[in-house]
Amino acid sequence: MNMSRFVKTCRCMLLLIILCMTTGCWDRREMDDLALIMGSGIDLTDSGLIEVSYQIALPTGIPSAVKSGGSQKQVVVISAKGNDLQEALGRIQQQMSRYVYFGHREVFLIGENYARQGLNQVQDLFTRFPETRYNSYVLTAYGATAKEILSTPYPMELIPALAISKIQSSRQSFSVKFDEFLEAFASPGTSPVTAAIRIIHKGTDKESVAIDRAAVYLGNKLSGFTQPAELELLRWWIGDPYRLSFTIQAEPEDKDYKGTISVKSSESSVHVHTRIVDDHPEAKVIFHTVVKVVSNNTRLNLDNEKNRKNIEQQFSRQLQGRFEELLTHVQKGMKSDIFGMGEEIHIEHPYSWKKIRGSWAEIFPAMPVQVEVEFQIEQLGKTHGRAYLEK
Amino acid sequence: MNLKISGMQVFWIILSMNLGMTLVMTLTPSLQAAKQDAWLSIIAAGCIALLIALLVTAVARIFPGQNLIDYAPLVFGTWLGKLVIVIYLVQWYTIIPIVLRQFSDLVNIMLLPETPKQFVILLMVLLIAYATYAGGIEGIGRCSEFLGPIILIMVILVLFANSNNINLKHILPVYADSGLKDIFRGSLAPASYLGHSVEYMMFASFLSKPRKGRAYTIWAVLIANLIVLLTTIIIIAVLGVNLSPNMWYPFFEMTQKISLFGFIDNFDAVPVVIWVSSVFVKLAVYFFLVSYGTAQFLKIKSWRIMIGFIAPVMFVFALIPQNVIEATTNYLQRYWVPIAMPVNMLGLPLLLLVIGTLKKGTGTAAAAGGNSDQ
Repeated sequence: MNMSRFVKTCRCMLLLIILCMTTGCWDRREMDDLALIMGSGIDLTDSGLIEVSYQIALPTGIPSAVKSGGSQKQVVVISAKGNDLQEALGRIQQQMSRYVYFGHREVFLIGENYARQGLNQVQDLFTRFPETRYNSYVLTAYGATAKEILSTPYPMELIPALAISKIQSSRQSFSVKFDEFLEAFASPGTSPVTAAIRIIHKGTDKESVAIDRAAVYLGNKLSGFTQPAELELLRWWIGDPYRLSFTIQAEPEDKDYKGTISVKSSESSVHVHTRIVDDHPEAKVIFHTVVKVVSNNTRLNLDNEKNRKNIEQQFSRQLQGRFEELLTHVQKGMKSDIFGMGEEIHIEHPYSWKKIRGSWAEIFPAMPVQVEVEFQIEQLGKTHGRAYLEK
Repeated sequence: MNLKISGMQVFWIILSMNLGMTLVMTLTPSLQAAKQDAWLSIIAAGCIALLIALLVTAVARIFPGQNLIDYAPLVFGTWLGKLVIVIYLVQWYTIIPIVLRQFSDLVNIMLLPETPKQFVILLMVLLIAYATYAGGIEGIGRCSEFLGPIILIMVILVLFANSNNINLKHILPVYADSGLKDIFRGSLAPASYLGHSVEYMMFASFLSKPRKGRAYTIWAVLIANLIVLLTTIIIIAVLGVNLSPNMWYPFFEMTQKISLFGFIDNFDAVPVVIWVSSVFVKLAVYFFLVSYGTAQFLKIKSWRIMIGFIAPVMFVFALIPQNVIEATTNYLQRYWVPIAMPVNMLGLPLLLLVIGTLKKGTGTAAAAGGNSDQ
């Protein structure tokens, strides 16, 4: 009897001890002990120091849904410099009253200067660090430092970093997530690429940000930026080809008509075929798209089969030309295989790839790549012809 | 008392032991060895695991109602038999502290970086000691009957939730990069973890219907193999093989990739449920085997008394490894794969089977023969 009571007491004690320990109180973090990092950036200063910047959300400054328009600041940007990344991070912690929490980090920015110097430290720090979220976006600052971008206000959102993240996740933007970026770094057959962000209306009170370029890396160094006009092509080739829009000059401009036709794609795809000819790789890339016409500023009536075929051919030809320009720019100019051609060869010709993978960086810029665009008009919008009087 | 388990419980015990541990601990070595062909390694590992399951269930069938500690001396003679038992005890005594340590390492790396590891380990030791003391194998069986389906559902949930991240191109090219040798090398670590059915030799004697046990065991191993295979393919397809061989826990990293409908994000808690449940079942089973086996081996009447001695020893042992590499990599690569798998899981069961069949010979051949066509 006594014995069983003793056993019972022991069991209860045991349960209590277990209960006390499962709370994990060593790692408890109260909300007001956390600095919620929404975006972070890294720069190289002119004097050769590394500068780390955080954009931190201030929960007290964010007005609730009922009270609109808070006068308090919603975010604060904190930065510190150091000889290397760890030193800068240490200095930043010295000015923080709160524990730095990365769980909500939406964007990571790389300053242009830092990117040109090489990224190894960043990669290592961010892969080892347990709080790294692979779903956050990586962007390279174009013509600015990461700190400047983080400090730029964004009129439509309370937290500028969230604005960047929303632009990136909208599917109409070229975006690269952290894991895709790291994967490209680790892959011998693909070079890394990120979206590039810049400040628009600089120096005015309408200052804001725009993402209209891509930053092309070679090895771990920034090699250059693509042109804004090339971004749509890049989305088609390596991004999310969702509602691509293109405009061409279909007829010469006259006094009544601009002569342009614009389309939006409803489905697009890319097929890459590689061949090995005498140990030398060659590739043929076929772009396929089905579009609807969104505006027609020409004298052509698209109800007419012949006109439609004509426009389709013009689009194919002009887009092919633009792709060839992009290729020349990236492949010959920046020498960077952001298209993952090496990976395609790896998959299609694994045994040849073993022979060339060591010298891929030299082989790729000289590789012949043939581009073909298959273009098909599917819909003409809501109206047949034009809704105004013909002149 | 408390020492009868059903076939279904055996199924869930083996499934939960195999699943969580293999998924979390052994995929990295296969990915390192075979890269995108790691799934071929898993198929090879599954075959090895199935062989182990067939062997041990065949052994258990020769000696119905007896466990390893009963029949090892019968088969090998008193002294050799004792040696064999000691070999198995070494396996059980070392796996517990190592799993405890892996558990605390993982909790430290992924979840609670500040919590001292002693407390994480102590918590688990207390839990398994309590489960073993209060429930015995029957309690553990019921626990796994409850936890097993949860583990299974969670794994499948993670796989489904990742379906929008799958890029099957990552699997290509098949075979060209690795070759037979690498694929086989990559299969060893998962095979050794999928081979936990070897413990069936111990708990077969607790089955209320010993004849049914074999089918349940083999099904458990088969299903575990299948799910590990599926998970490996998805890990490769989601993470690619450039980064994943460097990750300690690719399965966890994969769950971080989940992002559905714009509001289901950061699923990190799910694999923790899988992992902790699996660790608990595994530790509890081994803890019971150690306590029961040691008591039986040393001819101590009450095996429950052993719990009081073994629990503190396990706690202290778990603190011995100096770092995460010693606990996770070295034990796996230097003991579990080269010694425990060939000797404890394949060699000795095979010897037991051959010699046991011969020794039983004329007397019970009819009974054994009668069982084999079920």
